[in-house]
Amino acid sequence: MSRTRDGNEHDGLPDPALPPPTVWEERGISRRDFMKFCTAMSAALALPPAFAPKIAHALDQVKRPTLVWLEFQDCAGNTEALLRSSHPTVAELVLDVLSIDYHETIMAAAGHQAEEALAKVTKEQKGKYLVIVEGSIPMKDNGVYCCVGGRTAVDIAREVCGNAFATIAVGSCAAYGGIPAAAPNPTGAVGVKEAVPEATVINLPGCPLNPDNLTALVVHYLTFNKLPAVDSHGRPLFAYGKRIHDACERRPHFDAGQYVEEWGDHGHKKGYCLYKMGCKGPATWHNCPTQRYNMKTSWPVGAGHGCVGCSEPLFWDSMTPFYRRLPNVPGFGIESTADKIGAGLAVATAAAFAGHGVISGMRHDKGKPEDHEEA
Amino acid sequence: MAKIAIDPITRIEGHLRIEAEISGGRVADAWSSSTMFRGIERILQGRDPRDAWVFTQRFCGVCTTVHAIASIRCVENALNITIPQNAEIIRNIIIGIQNVQDHVIHFYHLHALDWVDITSALKADPAKTASLSASISEWPLNSPTYFKGVQGKLKAFVETGRLGPFANAYWGHPAYRLPPEANLMAVAHYLEALEWQKEIIRIHAILGSKNPHPQTFIVGGMAIALDPDSQSALNMDKIAEIRSLLKKTRDFVEKVYIPDLLAVAAFYKDWAAIGGGVGNYLAYGDFPMDNSGKPEKLWMPRGIILNRDLSKVHPVDDKKIAEYVDHSWYEYSAGAGKGVHPWDGETNHKYTGPRPPYEFLDTNGKYSWVKAPRYADQPMEVGPLSRLLVAYGAGHKEVKQAVDGVLAKLGVGPEALFSTLGRTAARGIETLLLAAELPKWLDQLTANIVGGDLHIHNSERWDPKDWPKEASGFGLHEAPRGALGHWIRIRDQKILNYQAIVPSTWNASPRDAAGTRGPYEAALIDTPIADQNKPLEILRTIHSFDPCLACAVH
Amino acid sequence: MTKITSKYVWEVPVRVTHWVNFLAILVLSVTGIYIGNPKSLALAPSGYVMGWVRFIHFVVAYAFTISVLARFWWMYKGNRYANWRSFVPFINADGRHKMGRMFRYYVFISKEVPYVEGHNALAGATYLLVFGLYLLSIVTGFALYAEYAPDSVMFKLFGLIFIPFSSQGVRLFHHILMWLLIGFAIHHIYSAWLMDVKERGGVMSAIFGGYKPLREKE
Ligand code: HEM
Ligand code: HEM
Ligand code: NFV
Ligand code: SF4
Ligand code: SF4
Ligand code: F3S
Ligand SMILES: [Mg+2]
Repeated sequence: MSRTRDGNEHDGLPDPALPPPTVWEERGISRRDFMKFCTAMSAALALPPAFAPKIAHALDQVKRPTLVWLEFQDCAGNTEALLRSSHPTVAELVLDVLSIDYHETIMAAAGHQAEEALAKVTKEQKGKYLVIVEGSIPMKDNGVYCCVGGRTAVDIAREVCGNAFATIAVGSCAAYGGIPAAAPNPTGAVGVKEAVPEATVINLPGCPLNPDNLTALVVHYLTFNKLPAVDSHGRPLFAYGKRIHDACERRPHFDAGQYVEEWGDHGHKKGYCLYKMGCKGPATWHNCPTQRYNMKTSWPVGAGHGCVGCSEPLFWDSMTPFYRRLPNVPGFGIESTADKIGAGLAVATAAAFAGHGVISGMRHDKGKPEDHEEA
Repeated sequence: MAKIAIDPITRIEGHLRIEAEISGGRVADAWSSSTMFRGIERILQGRDPRDAWVFTQRFCGVCTTVHAIASIRCVENALNITIPQNAEIIRNIIIGIQNVQDHVIHFYHLHALDWVDITSALKADPAKTASLSASISEWPLNSPTYFKGVQGKLKAFVETGRLGPFANAYWGHPAYRLPPEANLMAVAHYLEALEWQKEIIRIHAILGSKNPHPQTFIVGGMAIALDPDSQSALNMDKIAEIRSLLKKTRDFVEKVYIPDLLAVAAFYKDWAAIGGGVGNYLAYGDFPMDNSGKPEKLWMPRGIILNRDLSKVHPVDDKKIAEYVDHSWYEYSAGAGKGVHPWDGETNHKYTGPRPPYEFLDTNGKYSWVKAPRYADQPMEVGPLSRLLVAYGAGHKEVKQAVDGVLAKLGVGPEALFSTLGRTAARGIETLLLAAELPKWLDQLTANIVGGDLHIHNSERWDPKDWPKEASGFGLHEAPRGALGHWIRIRDQKILNYQAIVPSTWNASPRDAAGTRGPYEAALIDTPIADQNKPLEILRTIHSFDPCLACAVH
Repeated sequence: MTKITSKYVWEVPVRVTHWVNFLAILVLSVTGIYIGNPKSLALAPSGYVMGWVRFIHFVVAYAFTISVLARFWWMYKGNRYANWRSFVPFINADGRHKMGRMFRYYVFISKEVPYVEGHNALAGATYLLVFGLYLLSIVTGFALYAEYAPDSVMFKLFGLIFIPFSSQGVRLFHHILMWLLIGFAIHHIYSAWLMDVKERGGVMSAIFGGYKPLREKE
């Protein structure tokens, strides 16, 4: 079983040779709705609409691949995001698209019976199942900061992710350590790839992730039969390939030099740029402005608050303070911006040299030309 | 005497483990433990207090919003900031819809399978289900064809042989008592509720940009501008959309959730005598009806009920709150055996449990990441039930009416409230009240806008330059799961100390220094257990609290 | 008696790049400060204030980059005063000795003005640091610039910096570099003045005209 990042050589999830049932209609989803979904998906994947039939074809062939969903140092925000997913809905996902054999927040079984279900998957479907991980993995002190069923998260992750076809790290915690890894990282929290380097991991960061991007990833896989291209942080380019700032609806105001100066002011009412209120859109790669949230209702900058950079590695440290454009200069207090320190430095230098100049003026140097001729 | 461990407890938020001693078919003793710790209180130290809400909101993605609210409130309290009316109303709407949505998800997706055997739904007669449904509610989706369709879907799913998340459960357990028709109806509504919740929570997206983890909170108000003449602000179009979603909200609650709740409860009345617990109930109250910050202006009142005595509502004094860590994996610099008020709280984690993998925890020693909060050294249950009991005791008109109505329908007295069933019923009653109240708050907002008040943020103390050198404050809130408090100390514009005591910290608490059990532990005592390998009954009582362990530990 | 002659020290490329860099840094700092802390000038939405400011920043950034690269090229092609060796005096014992002497002079330990034809050894080493700051400004600047075009060659090249460092960290660093350069400029203009006006070193006029007065002991 090979687990290359592009997924080319696997013998895992869908088998294109399966008989092509018109399962979607049988499941009560009209052809029209289904095609609408496929078109939406090709948009989410940044593909031309002509791809919709290809997606439709691929989805028609699917036999519910097995998925297990692990929660470690998480807040269940990504699970909740999944519950808000609209195409497909989570009900369709559970009943039709995937076989979600383990997910603590929704599964009926508990305790030993739940653990048995997980053990069955890792044993019987080695190398074929998908894992979704939500939450970071604590590495300090032998991993005692997160245990499930008496086992540590890192122990479970090594077994379950290590034997999977691929692992999708949903949310910034699972991808990069997220909030538990924020300084001083009390529990030594890390993302999945760092905890289980041998696993094939695709990161879908965000806090939480946008569930449409998860659907798009699954659909991408089913359509192209391989995992999508990723950036240097392991994020699919179709969702993280462009900066917020370069797709933001407030961008014309940025360029025009029109900024919100105070919450609720004229600029805030008229949708001016939130740059001065600390918006991190210029440093954040995510498709929020176009994909939006909750059935495309809105997104942070659209609603009136700056982006906090939630899809960037370690954003809890690199994007804070959230209401300042730049991070604090390490080692100085929260009131010391780079400009204050820099201006202080410049003034101090000027003062020091003024002093130097006075002293120089008062002394008589050797090696000075005796005559006062100028060349 | 046999000791069992249920880990993971599923269909909750987070990592909860229950250990219990079973004797004579009943729970003799129980221990509640959370097995996950992140240390966010530590992570907050030294940061900008205005950033805190973004961090604390990540305590939990289920009751998302609640820690944002408590956090901005505690910073506003410390800095003495009065927020504009409009911001208060918008917060109330956000809080209200959060409660409603969270409660419905809890009932259908986290709790229902404790009472509903979905496999039995396959045996139901869709026509009978339809008439059952029509007899209890005027909800339009009640035709035999509709239920036949649902049953067909379920059948097709079961026939694949791959039950996914429904595999390996306690189906067929003798404690399941609903007839197949009721089970089929519940399955249909399980699916409908899934659809409904993601629709109505768009109110958060409109007011807060997204859900989970909305992003328009700010210290001093809200970061969503009001302007009927702008397409980039909250305008009448968006308010109209919220209004229609609120209608949808109320419809479902009144026509589906409440009738289902009553129908299911009627089959499980014996659970009105099981799962009572500590008998003390604490509510901080919420929904400020103006921006004065006065407790008496809260729509849901603040108070304490002691020893199940509804005749007296005691006042709340936050100074009487202290957290113990004698059975939790922390150390206090003042040593063991002492409770600490959250302003002086410490989060010095120190694991002393068994080295994983383990079979059992050392329940005589420290056994949980949850601290043990106590009010005047008493354990307190918090949640919808506590809120209703306090309001009921205080003579709150709407609450009294609603509670009495439900009790009458079920043919039980108020003492039935102190139970597993009482907790589950209280959640429903509260949802009903909030769904009715929400449109009124939206009306207030609209009236303000029409009157030309577009004020949304108080910027006087936005700039840390204008802050005192030292300040401390607290923020209280009623989260879906109960009384929530955040305490902050600020020095030199930075967070010196930050402590949260969360509803599930109260409820999931382990024993304190005196060895007194926490509410989950106490509620499990004497629970009948038909089959200790399938402890369905334990799940029922634990789920009735709607546990959230990411919240509890943070 | 000391005889004063003058010698052609700073060739045209040295002088041109010096002044192009000076002007570029001036413009880049002014535009950079605006980018970092813009003022809403209450202009019409059709305005393009930030757009133009950034445009100027980028155009001048290109000019600056070309000028810096030209100066690097001249370190190999130019005369011995322009040579790269004068920026690394510390690689041999003599150079280290000269740096020491200059340092003692600056901090008032010694009253002897060490006289040199090209850069004095200490200044040479300092310029190495300045060239370093130039390069870092360019690398961080182009990395930030290329973010708008993730498919570009520029991003593939400069974007590598975002693997170890966050975008915000790079932005902060780019910003701090400006202050370091301003700090250097203050010190540098002062020393040029010190050496020229007070010590009659003739350095000042040399950077304009190229000729430096030479003192020869007879
Ligand atoms: C000595 C030379 C330079 C100085 C002093 C300078 C200064 C600055 C400053 C102060 C900022 C604002 C940073 C912030 O607060 O976010 C800035 C932004 C920027 N600079 Fe420079 N810069 C220099 C050279 C360059 C170069 C060579 C480039 C290459 C293209 C460049 C590209 C940029 C970019 C892309 C930004 C960010 C603009 C934005 O985000 O809209 N800079 N610069
Ligand atoms: C009024 C403004 C300035 C004057 C009068 C001036 C003068 C001079 C002089 C006289 C030299 C030759 C010094 C020597 O032989 O040790 C020199 C070299 C140099 N200056 Fe300036 N300078 C000015 C501004 C700046 C600024 C703003 C910078 C950069 C921030 C700068 C960077 C340099 C560098 C890097 C060299 C070495 C040149 C080379 O070898 O290519 N100068 N400058
Ligand atoms: N306990 C708890 Fe929460 C709630 N409701 C928070 O305060 O669930 Ni996540
Ligand atoms: S990434 Fe955010 S939403 Fe997801 S688990 Fe972590 S804190 Fe929660
Ligand atoms: S609001 Fe943020 S992302 Fe949008 S243009 Fe302004 S700075 Fe960029
Ligand atoms: S905060 Fe996150 S949700 Fe999008 S707008 Fe910014 S990346
Ligand atoms: Mg706490």
